[in-house]
Amino acid sequence: MPEQPAPTGNLISAQLLVDLVTNTLDPGYAATARQRGRDAPRRWSDRPAVALGCALIGFILVVAYIHTHRGAPQAAKVHDSLVARVRAAQHRVDGLAAQAQQLNDSLTVLRDQALARSGPLSRQLGREQLLAGQTAVVGPGLQVVLKEPPSAATTGPPGRGGSAPGAATNILSDRDVRSVVNELWADGAEAISVNDVRLTPTSAIRFAGDAVLVDFAPITSPFTIRAIGDADNLATGFASSAVASRYQTLAGANGIGFAFTEHKKLTLPATPVASPRFAHPATATSSPAPPGPTR
Amino acid sequence: MIAALALAAGIVVGLVFRPTVPIWLEPYLPIAVVAALDAVFGGVRARLDGIFDAKVFVVSFISNVVVAALIVFMGDKLGVGAQLSTAVVVVLGIRIFGNAAAIRRHVFRA
Repeated sequence: MPEQPAPTGNLISAQLLVDLVTNTLDPGYAATARQRGRDAPRRWSDRPAVALGCALIGFILVVAYIHTHRGAPQAAKVHDSLVARVRAAQHRVDGLAAQAQQLNDSLTVLRDQALARSGPLSRQLGREQLLAGQTAVVGPGLQVVLKEPPSAATTGPPGRGGSAPGAATNILSDRDVRSVVNELWADGAEAISVNDVRLTPTSAIRFAGDAVLVDFAPITSPFTIRAIGDADNLATGFASSAVASRYQTLAGANGIGFAFTEHKKLTLPATPVASPRFAHPATATSSPAPPGPTR
Repeated sequence: MIAALALAAGIVVGLVFRPTVPIWLEPYLPIAVVAALDAVFGGVRARLDGIFDAKVFVVSFISNVVVAALIVFMGDKLGVGAQLSTAVVVVLGIRIFGNAAAIRRHVFRA
């Protein structure tokens, strides 16, 4: 501040700020102008200097731009490779599951050959396998569909840390699937599948992150729950249940998709069931260690 | 005229060569950008004021970048790099705003 008296004490810092705001032009310009006079002749170096400065500025700006935007494809690449790995792993899991199912089928064929085809033993085994979800089943039943609202798929740009939008979380979770399944069991369902994953006596419906896991198989939004049983009983029992009315309300309020329909014929897939390793029949009369599943 | 041409040339050179910014230079990139913008606005305003000087333009730009980088470098060494970086951006940002306002007064007379 050349034309004002030197301020003292607290004023200095305030003056600094005022100076900062009012004298925005580099003081060098004014000083040089005063020194050389207003209409001094051009020097030979003026044009190259300006050109150099401007080229430098353009260069810096574009380098910064490129540098900032180069990181984005990198992140996308990492994301893609992760997705590819997950897909490959899922593929392998599918293959192994198919193989297990195939082996299970051939096991069934072999066992059928060994046992009398229509003997009581074979019939009992068949029924228990059916209850255990080890054979694909066909029958009348009810199909319930739960769906996320369409607008929920707001996967915007990855937000900055700590600003994750609350809307990104799904409305439906494992609890919803579980409550529908429980209601269907209570209404007399004999076999249930969720998104073509058959529920067995050891099935669990859980969640990990945003995904709903049914027996470790991740399933996503349109949750199709099929239950085989007396279709009319299932439909009336389910329609009058608290679960159904809750999702009717949710469908109205949050826009989730909720529908249930009776079907004459539903087909539920089989699940290869691992043999229990620790549980043994409590009765001493049963055979010591039968080769097949002991359920 | 020559300034615009040179600016375009600099942009083209950057686009053609696509230089990778070394990792140690990364923290100074935002500072350099703000200093560059400050130099541009300062130069335009000086031109409108009729006191533009090529030497002052180039020297002030380069020294601004260097000093700002130095401040940030020292701050990094002393553990206050982020704060000093903010300080540099704030000061240069205020200057940019002030110069932009002066340019606006020149151009629109308002």
